[in-house]
Amino acid sequence: MSSEIEVRTPAELMATESVAERTARFERDAMQYTNQLYAAALRYTKNPHNAQDLVQDTYAKAFTSFHQFEPGTNLKAWLYRILTTTFINTYRKDQRRPLISDGEVEDWQLAESASHTSDQGKSAEDEVLENLPDGDVKRALHEIPEEFRLAVFYADVEGYSYKEIADILGIPAGTVMSRLHRGRKLLRVLLMDYAKDRGFGGSDGM
Amino acid sequence: MQKIVDLGDRMECSDVMRAVILFIDNELHDENQALTFQTHFQQCPQCLVEMEHERQVLTRMKSLLADECCEQAPDELQIRIAQQTALLAAQMFSPTQIITEYRRTETTINGETHIEIETTHEIRRDFPLS
Repeated sequence: MSSEIEVRTPAELMATESVAERTARFERDAMQYTNQLYAAALRYTKNPHNAQDLVQDTYAKAFTSFHQFEPGTNLKAWLYRILTTTFINTYRKDQRRPLISDGEVEDWQLAESASHTSDQGKSAEDEVLENLPDGDVKRALHEIPEEFRLAVFYADVEGYSYKEIADILGIPAGTVMSRLHRGRKLLRVLLMDYAKDRGFGGSDGM
Repeated sequence: MQKIVDLGDRMECSDVMRAVILFIDNELHDENQALTFQTHFQQCPQCLVEMEHERQVLTRMKSLLADECCEQAPDELQIRIAQQTALLAAQMFSPTQIITEYRRTETTINGETHIEIETTHEIRRDFPLS
């Protein structure tokens, strides 16, 4: 039996950039996105307390792997990708639930939006969207399944392309398209439902 | 992006409406496909109206969403992150040793030799008191 011992110093393991330099670069480049990351985290966790923890954990991971970030590429999208994996690894572990697969939205939910083709339907929808009370859109967004909600958030709030969303969420671009499409339809259906619940429906203004 | 049927030069209204979202989202990466849509809209007023309605609804939804999904990170969170970054940086500064040990065990029983190689890594680091 033989035994050898080899000692490596941190200097050999670290990139040429010093810790102080990397820290300064991180503070300068990554810290400017805390608001956007927090807004995104709220879409994942749906509550402020967990959203704060999620953002903090995301920044911890981002800092310790910041040497892997390729300068010149999209830093915000890189942070969103870490946010996604952090969410999946930590916050979803203990509340395992079957994920809704992409063909599974209830037919009735989509059937309703298929009837939006009539001119009457169109103007009713326009009217609802023009007169929406504060908070309705956020409420509807939080009511739709997570997979759809995130696709809608990244496309319609952040303005990312299907390909960029695919990278952030770690799913194929075709899946992004179908989730986005379904998510948007569900949102519209819900907004119309809220309006109906409030007694909207006639043009007599009551 | 995935192919939307084989379009050729002409599209049926149903094909247009099924894929109209790709046109609106600017996700038709094939120039010919975008052109086929545009040609169809020039010739088909119903589809044009439909597309414009979809586009208008989407624009409205985007602005509503943008107005409501722009929460500010609380100051407390900003402070927590700044402290965490400082702490992590301090840990990286502190002397760290990584000790790697290889152990090779050779056993011969009845002329049959087994060789086992075991590697262990030990990370020694001083954690600063926070």
